[in-house]
Amino acid sequence: MITRHKEKIRTLTGNAAAAYGAMLCRPDVIALYPITPQSEVIEQLASFSADGLLDAEMVEVEGENSAINIVTSASIAGGRVFTATSSWGLAFMYDGMLQASGFRAPVVMVNVNREMPGILAVSSGQQDMTSTRDSGWIQVVAENCQEILDLVVMAYRLAEDHDVQLPVMVNYDGFYLSYLAEGVNLPSQEEVHAFLAPLKDQPPRPVLVPGEPLGSGTHGILEGFVELRFKHSTALERSKAKFDEIDALFRESFGRSYGGQIEEYRTNDAEVVLMVSGSAAGTAKAVVDSLRNKGAKVGVVKLRMFRPFPRERIVRALTGKKAIGIVDRSVSFGWNCGPLFMELKAISEEIGTVPIMDFIDGLANTDITEDHIADMIKSVQNAAKGEPFKDVTWVSLEE
Amino acid sequence: MTVKAKKRNKVFDYFKAEDPFSGGLTLCPGCPLELLLRFTAKVLGKEIVFVGTPSCSATVLYGQNRQSWHKLAYYSCLMTGVASSATGITRYYRKIGKDITVVAFTGDGCSADIGFQPLSGAAERNENFIYITYDNEGYMNTGIQKSSTTPIGARTSTTPVGEARRGNPNPGKNVPFLMAMHKIPYAATATLSHLDDLAKKLIKAKEKKKEGLAYLHVFSPCPTGWGFESDMSIAVCRMAVQTHYFPLWEAERGRFRFTHKTTRPKPLTDFLEMVRKFNHLSTEEIALLVKEAEERYSLVEGMTQLWPMA
Repeated sequence: MITRHKEKIRTLTGNAAAAYGAMLCRPDVIALYPITPQSEVIEQLASFSADGLLDAEMVEVEGENSAINIVTSASIAGGRVFTATSSWGLAFMYDGMLQASGFRAPVVMVNVNREMPGILAVSSGQQDMTSTRDSGWIQVVAENCQEILDLVVMAYRLAEDHDVQLPVMVNYDGFYLSYLAEGVNLPSQEEVHAFLAPLKDQPPRPVLVPGEPLGSGTHGILEGFVELRFKHSTALERSKAKFDEIDALFRESFGRSYGGQIEEYRTNDAEVVLMVSGSAAGTAKAVVDSLRNKGAKVGVVKLRMFRPFPRERIVRALTGKKAIGIVDRSVSFGWNCGPLFMELKAISEEIGTVPIMDFIDGLANTDITEDHIADMIKSVQNAAKGEPFKDVTWVSLEE
Repeated sequence: MTVKAKKRNKVFDYFKAEDPFSGGLTLCPGCPLELLLRFTAKVLGKEIVFVGTPSCSATVLYGQNRQSWHKLAYYSCLMTGVASSATGITRYYRKIGKDITVVAFTGDGCSADIGFQPLSGAAERNENFIYITYDNEGYMNTGIQKSSTTPIGARTSTTPVGEARRGNPNPGKNVPFLMAMHKIPYAATATLSHLDDLAKKLIKAKEKKKEGLAYLHVFSPCPTGWGFESDMSIAVCRMAVQTHYFPLWEAERGRFRFTHKTTRPKPLTDFLEMVRKFNHLSTEEIALLVKEAEERYSLVEGMTQLWPMA
């Protein structure tokens, strides 16, 4: 049954939407450390706390590495936790991120996507997210401010699910979304409580108990280590269907859903499809709409879940297409392409042998414009017709 | 004439408490760390959470070979994250209103070097837990490398003694003093030859952690890494105190007090002669080490006069 609440639309930036999402989930411990373009998230949470709206332990740490260690240990002690970072802040967390996932700590963290060093770039890009892809975290990506808030709420439901018990990173584009103000439908506290309530009915997860002989992170050698790695990996596999399920449940509770692991936009009868993630998906959909008006059979697959990689859903969505394009907002060094392209190539046998084209665009705030998207789709259409094509195009260098 | 029976030191009472560690640990013979771990747990009681890292202590705290373990709650993390992990656990227990003693327990490599930033951060935020450093003046578990508490002139595997280099060129970091300078509720030094002093400080730390961070810096010489016989550990500890190499003091919010005064200190050479890591030192090099030890002692002595503990 859909119980629609009285709609409360607020104009919120992406960062504020993330902070509202986190506050509504009532974390016990929050670690705060600023970095552009994430700072507003923690400032907003700090003001919620100062105004008495948020009863959480607020830890203003001295660096991101401490932020991740604090939320991981608080989670293992039994708490619900939140932190946020970006770019090299994420890199500084890396050892702690491996702890969090290896410990199966259901940490929820926002990562506001930004370019990585060593070329200093205070600008958007997904290199931070893609550089941490083997950290064992669940990584999801939002397209707009509403989806940021909704994904944070869904992230808790997913992270703390008994079948999952893994940390979740909610990503969104820095600058394009972090500072963009949009109308956001703000759920009520009761609704979010109700949505997260089923977590309480699950079997309790193991936590530290003082006075009890329980060690977290003991030596795992030989088969013991392998078994835990296997369980971690299979939990990630389970999280895919669980994410789809949570997305459907979210619709029942809030009247909004996003397609789960991927959103398939006008792909059913499409001959060519462009795969996009993050804020550029909105641009891609707008371009597809206008091309559809001219009769072109084109569609968009929006990647919402980057880790685990939704290979089954993508194969189903792309099988039978004549050609596929992929927009990569980061670089896979050593392959001279983008990471998403690599991953798509890894399942190309299942998709079927069709041209797959990589478009590296949107690095360091180079806008992924409607013209760029239209050109990409045109190239993919040409490839579909059997014309020779380039595997990898660095879009802003082509102009 | 009546013979008054010698009153037994109260510290022995602590040894009656249950030992949460299994008998026979995987530490080197004579390592005072074993005594420190067992004693700490006996004094602080069962309702504690240990937080530690890969290190010498990990072979005991993490459990190894299924034979060496304990009955305590333990959270292991990387060397970068001890003070921060202790913070997370402490904050969660505070949120749910549970009074638990969280004890971060690391070597000097962690607290003086790679984990110093989070330790300093936790001190500045005045987090409610106990942090114990067992200082063996180097990275012993990985094979006796220099840390930033390694004293000047000392031989380690990364500051070897040869034709061109003569051991550690730097005097090292005075970590307990730096911690006291954070003006935390409690900072103190201790060692294993003075167990009554250590017990008092552990109990005080447990009380003081209600106000904020309590830091204990425990001198814990390493028979394997420093070069002395396994039956000499406690004697080395005692000599370090008697020569003013490692003075015993405590500080509350930056106000100092000696907890043990040696009226006629022995010459530092008495200590140096016990330890082979110093046996290459020339008279001039020994003079540098003496100067450093004297300066450190005077610093605390000065503080006890300038900012005495009430």
